[in-house]
Amino acid sequence: MIRLMLTTALAALPMAAVAQEITVGAANMAPYLDPGRDHSNVGSQFYYNSFDTLIDRDHTKLEPEWVPALATSWELVEPTVMELKLRDGVKFHNGDDMTADDVVFSLNRMMQATFPPYVVRAKDRLGNFTHAEKVDDHTVRIIAEREEPLWETLISLQQIMIIPEDYTKALTGDPDVAEDSDFEAFAMAPVGTGPYKIESFQPGERLVWTRFDDFWGEQAPLQKVNVVQIAETASRVTALKTGEADIVTNLAPDQLALVDNDPNLKTEGSATALFHVMIMNQNHPKLQDPRIRKAMSLAIDRDALNEALWFGKAVVPSTHTMVEMGALHQPDLVTFEYDPEQARALLAEAGYDGFEITYDTAPTYYTNGLLAAQAIMEMWAAAGINGKVQVKDKWSGNDPEMMARNWSNPMYFADPFGSFGVMWAPGGPSQSEGRFNTDEDYAEKWERFRFSTDVEARKAAYAELMERVKEDPAVLPLYRPFESWGMQKNVNWAPMPGHIPYVLDFRAGSISLADS
Amino acid sequence: MASLADIVARPRRKGHATPDVVQKIALAVAALLIFAALFAPLIAPFEPLQQSLLSRLRPPIGFDRYSPWHFAGTDELGRDVLSRALFGLRLTLTLAFAGAVIGLLIGGTLGLIAGLVSGWVEDTIMALVDMQIAIPFTLVALLVLSLLGSNITVLVLVLGIAGWEQYARIVRAEVRRLSALPFIEAAWTAGAGPVYVATRHVLPNLVSPLVVQFTLALSNIVILESTLSFLGLGVQPPQPSLGSMVGLGRDYMPTAPWIVLTPAALIVLLTFSVQITGDWLRDRADVRLRER
Amino acid sequence: MIAYVLRVLAKSAVTLFAIVTVTFIATRLSGNPIETFLGEGLTTEGREELIRYFQLDRSLWEQYLAFLRGVLSGEFGLSFVDRRPVTQVVAERLWPSAQLLLSSIALTLAVSLPLGVLAAVYRKSWVGSAVMVVAFAGYAVPNFILAIVMMLVFSYWLNWLPVVGNGSFAHFIMPTIAMSGVLIAALTRFTRNAMLDVLGQDFIRTARAKGLSELRVVLRHGLGNAGVTVISVIGLQFAGLAAAGSVVVESIFSWPGIGQLLVNAAIIRDYPVLQFGVIAVAIAVVAINAVTDIAYALADPRIRLAKA
Repeated sequence: MIRLMLTTALAALPMAAVAQEITVGAANMAPYLDPGRDHSNVGSQFYYNSFDTLIDRDHTKLEPEWVPALATSWELVEPTVMELKLRDGVKFHNGDDMTADDVVFSLNRMMQATFPPYVVRAKDRLGNFTHAEKVDDHTVRIIAEREEPLWETLISLQQIMIIPEDYTKALTGDPDVAEDSDFEAFAMAPVGTGPYKIESFQPGERLVWTRFDDFWGEQAPLQKVNVVQIAETASRVTALKTGEADIVTNLAPDQLALVDNDPNLKTEGSATALFHVMIMNQNHPKLQDPRIRKAMSLAIDRDALNEALWFGKAVVPSTHTMVEMGALHQPDLVTFEYDPEQARALLAEAGYDGFEITYDTAPTYYTNGLLAAQAIMEMWAAAGINGKVQVKDKWSGNDPEMMARNWSNPMYFADPFGSFGVMWAPGGPSQSEGRFNTDEDYAEKWERFRFSTDVEARKAAYAELMERVKEDPAVLPLYRPFESWGMQKNVNWAPMPGHIPYVLDFRAGSISLADS
Repeated sequence: MASLADIVARPRRKGHATPDVVQKIALAVAALLIFAALFAPLIAPFEPLQQSLLSRLRPPIGFDRYSPWHFAGTDELGRDVLSRALFGLRLTLTLAFAGAVIGLLIGGTLGLIAGLVSGWVEDTIMALVDMQIAIPFTLVALLVLSLLGSNITVLVLVLGIAGWEQYARIVRAEVRRLSALPFIEAAWTAGAGPVYVATRHVLPNLVSPLVVQFTLALSNIVILESTLSFLGLGVQPPQPSLGSMVGLGRDYMPTAPWIVLTPAALIVLLTFSVQITGDWLRDRADVRLRER
Repeated sequence: MIAYVLRVLAKSAVTLFAIVTVTFIATRLSGNPIETFLGEGLTTEGREELIRYFQLDRSLWEQYLAFLRGVLSGEFGLSFVDRRPVTQVVAERLWPSAQLLLSSIALTLAVSLPLGVLAAVYRKSWVGSAVMVVAFAGYAVPNFILAIVMMLVFSYWLNWLPVVGNGSFAHFIMPTIAMSGVLIAALTRFTRNAMLDVLGQDFIRTARAKGLSELRVVLRHGLGNAGVTVISVIGLQFAGLAAAGSVVVESIFSWPGIGQLLVNAAIIRDYPVLQFGVIAVAIAVVAINAVTDIAYALADPRIRLAKA
């Protein structure tokens, strides 16, 4: 009987190495696939395999090195106008040729967005671009409002990956008009120009990629990729062990040793370009005194969290900065420290009377999030802060009652504007949720940081912003989490330093299967 | 879930006052568990919330890397699994008692009213009972808790509402049966009011069937609470309940199975022993629970 | 009889209406879903725009009326998240759930009927006691514990059985057992009691007196008569149990059925999916109950007399 079960179980397993086909067990499967409206950590896993940007970067390198993608060359014809020459002979997965019209359509669906989910994404990062226009069949121009220091960075954003115009417009209603419902339908049946076409997609469940033979670049190394959602951590590890999955995502640090000790398996990981942060509500009546928030921040021993929960593999920053930001990386700034003595002194000065400070966390969303929350409560207690964890699925960042909670600040693109800048801009998400205040001085510094064309001026302005954050803190970056993937020994894949977080890059040169 | 207990345990044996071996063991285990829950603060070797990040995920006694006095090992934050399980047992049992009492109060009152007052009042109450039976209650509880966000008050209410219809049916049937008996009829003719009849004549006769139902309901509520907490909808961390320990610990199952197996074993022991105790009580009382 | 059927139908309708309303109220009391499913980093204008877009700016009463109109006309709306008709979203989950349910019922019957008969026939020996202890144990082990312990042992430690999805026969083994544990325990005990009732009756003694073999008496006359009651119980009580069980079991084994869908929809607050999913399950449960009630009444006139 046991042998019977065994053979049936084995018969059900995909024969990975033979057919150049793999199965990925992902912690989360996206509910829709549209690179434009999405900026989640879930979606970012999938877009790079099926869509292209005009300009790409060499993802094997940490420093940005721009490479041609759907545009073969680009230049600034005026300080606010970039002209791009388009690649010839690019085909979409549905067989259409890519034209300048498709490119203009794709860019303007974001830059002049009317579909509400696009509007939201367009405002926070593409706000400086007014529109794109066609010059001739092989040339397009992008027009900015002000001089833009981050041209290539922003033109290589996932949000303005290129999609087919005619196909999209014809999805619903009038085939010549882009209705909201067209974009909704597109997110269920996405079509791009990348090396893998989306063969089938069941929202929240599974995604099947097959090799796109008419891809303009080097052919994809895999014939077929099945991505299946396996939400439970223990199930993902088990699926890897039973051979049901060739790669699994989001392994918790506690499971690494176990996978590594298995002779058939291995792990790959990196300190992801994303901060797990603690946010504090500047406008909560009990937390208006910045000394209390400083104390909440100073009382947290982030290195101890790193050692205990991440085995020292996470990266604890001294300020809101990441090595990926190149010239703008400023590791010498010290904005955040551990100093329980000073925390105690500040609390005494502020006349803290032991009132309860709540810390909200989702149960599972952030790896180690609930654990860190509970450990932070102990650290607070040691400094005399009476903290309490509240577990809720619901986002509470816009709740006036929220005192502190965890959050993440991903690096949406490799610039301080792409992480701190998006989240903490004047009028940005943090301020508009009512837990962060800015004034004219902050806005002036932010403007200099965002639009100065001189790198040194941007660095100086950013340092001044960090000083403001230090004086009146609303955020504490805890660490860059060490995210890990588990895989069979015959799979050669690892996250690459030049990507935004979580990208499952299966393009040529990024993955290969050894014979086994 | 609720009325199943009633269906599967229809009257069988009469007047078995002395427990058999299995029942003796079950009684002993139930007593032991209740004792452990009552005195958890005295028995538990550690504070249930006390963390030690340096000794996380230590295995139970007898394995490598065992950390002294943590007999059942430590969890993902270095907390003592045995201490947490004991406090979890305490909380789980408290919630179960509270839920069963609420169910008894709601169901008992409605059943009494339905039994004493005929007509549309009785019809309405019995329609409610039928509705409660037809609703997949665990599913509704799950939705309500996941949407409203869990807190202890909501949780206890949900646990209480879970089984009220059983009490209502028992009480109503018993009241009906007793009303037909000569001594009650005599009381009525003597001019006694419904309150007098209820408290003097009906309630004393209800004690033993209600005790039996209460015991059976306890184990059902333990399962419901554990399931909800397992799904993250019941007791919230850092407070331990047996179900939430299993739910939060399952991520560590491949690496540290003791975090899950200790509370899981306690849940099974608890429901098993309480079930058999309830069954024994029923045999002893020779209660005939009617189906409708 | 017609009066009785009408009564059952009316009761079912009221029950359904109550479930629908409770679901609606619960979803709306839980606050604005936008933050939950669009996550972090929305600006104020962005949020307001989306709230209008998803028509969440209308008053509760308007939303409720619109919802009821939708229910009556069969229009249940679009999922907030993937913007597909919820009927389609739920429909594609029906078959996997039904498969799991059917395999659980099959396993339950295959195990419980023989065990129940055995326990009744040998009620005075250790065989009967052993069966009943096992039945008690099955009833005492919550399905989530059964599921994860099996997963630990058979998949993680022994690498025998797959844990994700419904791709093959092997995928059915653990979820089916996890679903059936409680059902087997309950049905075994019920079968035993029903058999005891039947075996004590006069016609059984008559059959024995006629010299029929004991096996024939037990199976033909005993189980044949007890079976009617047993089958009715499956419909009456198990639909609800199975609905609840499927939520837990499908979540644990990543089974692409309705239970998993509902849990996910509740977490991300995809109200339209949640509402229609609950309605679909409730319709199934209530319908099974109603049919069982009526069938049972047809078989046994005493019931409809007592109730009408």
